[in-house]
Amino acid sequence: MRKLLTVGAFLLGAAQAQTTLTVITHDSFDVDKKLVAGFEQANGVRVRFVKGGDAGEMLSRLILTRRAPIADVVYGLDNSMIARARQADLLTPYRSPNLAKVPAADRLDDNGLLNTVDTGIVALNYDRAYFQKAGLALPKTLDDLKLPQYAKLTVVASPATSSPGLAFLLATVNHYGEAGAWSWWREARANGLKLTRGWSDSYNKEFSRNGGKYPIVLSYASSPAAEVFYADGYDPAKLPAQAPTGNLFLPGSTYRQLEGVGILKGAKQAALARKFVDFMLSGPVQADFPTRMWVYPATSGVKLDPVFRFAQEPGVPAVKPEITANPQRLVDAWVTNVLRR
Amino acid sequence: MTRLGGWLLALPALVFTALLLALPLGRTLLEGGVNFAVWRDPYFLGRLGWTVAQAAGTAGLALALGAPFAYLLSRHDFTGKGLLLRLLLLPFVTPTLVAVLGLSALLGPQGWLTRPLGLDLSETPALLILGNLFFNLPVMTRLAYGGFSRVSPGLIGAARTLGATPWRAALGVALPLALPGLAAGVILVFLYSALSFGLPLALGGERYATLEVEIYTLTALQLRFPEASALIVGQLALTLAATWAYTLLSRGGSGVPAAGLPRARGGALAALWGLGAVTVLICFAPLLAVVARGLLGSGGPTLAYWQGVLADEDTPLLLGNTLRFALAALLGATVLGGLYALGAWRARSRVLDVVSLLPLMVSPVSLAVGYLLAYPQLSATLPMLIAAYTLLALPLVVRSLLPALRALPPRLLEAARTLGATGGAAHRTVTLPLTLPALRGGAALALATVLGEFGATLVLTRPEWATLSVGLYERLGRPGERNLGEACALATVLLLLSALAFTVLDGGEGEVT
Repeated sequence: MRKLLTVGAFLLGAAQAQTTLTVITHDSFDVDKKLVAGFEQANGVRVRFVKGGDAGEMLSRLILTRRAPIADVVYGLDNSMIARARQADLLTPYRSPNLAKVPAADRLDDNGLLNTVDTGIVALNYDRAYFQKAGLALPKTLDDLKLPQYAKLTVVASPATSSPGLAFLLATVNHYGEAGAWSWWREARANGLKLTRGWSDSYNKEFSRNGGKYPIVLSYASSPAAEVFYADGYDPAKLPAQAPTGNLFLPGSTYRQLEGVGILKGAKQAALARKFVDFMLSGPVQADFPTRMWVYPATSGVKLDPVFRFAQEPGVPAVKPEITANPQRLVDAWVTNVLRR
Repeated sequence: MTRLGGWLLALPALVFTALLLALPLGRTLLEGGVNFAVWRDPYFLGRLGWTVAQAAGTAGLALALGAPFAYLLSRHDFTGKGLLLRLLLLPFVTPTLVAVLGLSALLGPQGWLTRPLGLDLSETPALLILGNLFFNLPVMTRLAYGGFSRVSPGLIGAARTLGATPWRAALGVALPLALPGLAAGVILVFLYSALSFGLPLALGGERYATLEVEIYTLTALQLRFPEASALIVGQLALTLAATWAYTLLSRGGSGVPAAGLPRARGGALAALWGLGAVTVLICFAPLLAVVARGLLGSGGPTLAYWQGVLADEDTPLLLGNTLRFALAALLGATVLGGLYALGAWRARSRVLDVVSLLPLMVSPVSLAVGYLLAYPQLSATLPMLIAAYTLLALPLVVRSLLPALRALPPRLLEAARTLGATGGAAHRTVTLPLTLPALRGGAALALATVLGEFGATLVLTRPEWATLSVGLYERLGRPGERNLGEACALATVLLLLSALAFTVLDGGEGEVT
């Protein structure tokens, strides 16, 4: 059977002789092909990207296959996942010299199990047109979302099934403490807080701007900039006065996601893997992906596209270490104390 | 000898099914053991209850709408009937993401149908049930049509001559004779609705999640295998029982549409129009909505989304991959499925019958995990991707071919043999030409299904293998109206390809089961 499969691969033109470096990423990964081609040429290697699903799914898949690793390098694990990755003994340490350009507070791991590549800020967004038309003032705190005038206005992705949802959960636990967070979630749910399974369900179906009825949605601080970038008739020379959506930085609602790149234990191409880690933290790559993945570069001194003026970086309080130490326990507690109550 | 020969013919597909289905599934179940205690948890019992309820509800609605419509179709002739029956297969092969886009555009909170009517379907299971109906009403209608077509018009004519009203003739004569076909349809719709994954994942939210969605959460996100395995086993027991019942009922041959049927008049005409309108609305309005959504921006009609898709340097790759993978899988499924159907027919084995349906019955989520566990080194390779596509297409080829083979007049083959033809020659000159329409129908279904399949559901994908549905999914993963519009334009391309597959491959006579 395996022979048959090999013959099939050959017929389909998948035959390859060159050294290959396999990089597993989450589904949202996107980088300029020319940059990758440059890396391939400089190192005499072919880079094979594998999409591992949403970041949480990717982590599960890596844990399941840790005895026979399916890649050399992983990109896209974040600060809410590093504890599980450490526990499963998935990664082998490597500190990239480029890490020197990453502010100390943004480094994911002192030993270099993961090297921070970018930061994303999970935040609530709101639909400007909706609030203008309704003549409703914006809420100022998370507790406002429990008031009658803000009933049935907010949609968030579930912490149990999505990574922005998990980030939001960690932010609320950090803000209110565990018991306080459960009661906030229960009361907000009673006030019509809507849960979806994933980000795209909230944003593309339930958000009032995209045909839904909820004008407040959990997304990213960069989403308003992306809205301008992907608008009909976008012209970088004539940027509009404001984005159609805005950030709603309620205290305790934002979370700084640090995404990193690391080398998988058992990597076949360890030397090349280290070069790839350096490559991800190099200037050209850092400058390339903000308008592709809508995240901020981790290294300092990178010039951002002008459209990023529609995104704001809030001051996000650091999350207490005990909260990121075991997020799965918090998810389980949330499921018991909020979802199934 | 023929029975053993049949099993031998079926062997390649059996080995394939064992490697691609039984082994990975077993591997998943072994991963953490099976914790049956989960079946005492009221939460999961509730999920089971809801899974069964929504599937039974869909099957009941599909029967109530599809059976009378199919009966009228089988008794009357009208221009465009063949075309309608053929087009009815389009929803069945529509990618789930496309259906979700269409249903949301029409029936979402600001939907084109719901807003003017002041309807609010959110927080209700209505969208999920309508989505189920969108996919399954065509299946029910086609199966019931097949069942009613087997009823000789002479019998109904005789009843009418003896003074029965059209109602009496339909209920007293046609219905009992078509009952096995109808029951098979009901069971199949039940199975499809109970096991569908993408639809409840996207439209059910947290509240209306089905077992399959829970299995996904437990395996792909939480790595809670003992609980997941218990759910998988429970779901498997339910579907195997239903599958067994289905194969018992669907043993009739395929129907022969009678020629020279009368045109509908009076009450029959009105009923035909009414039921036809409802069916067309449920089955085609979401598709049209997707097409329209790809042409409508916030500022009115626009070609910007299409231009964006056509200008994207990746689009040729997406299109090329989609066609390449679909054709490779079609080839695999036709060869394996053809041999299997021939084998199952000759072996007259019910086991082979049930096994052919397994790829439709096993949770794709648990398979995906099984591939990772059983074949970690192959899980991101092209052969694995093609094999997974082939597995999905296989049952459609077999289910199309089997009824046609069973309807073959045995005497024709015997005559050929008596006249000196070898076994192979007899099949080539008698079996093949007579079953070719069914084979073409099955191939069209298989091709269209694979065209729209989102590969990552089963295997790890690689960017260079991105297909149209992957491109669609990626656009839905980014904010901004251009991404949503372009996703709809890509969805339109997928629909056109599926329609093309039917036009080229299927004469419209192939029966879907």
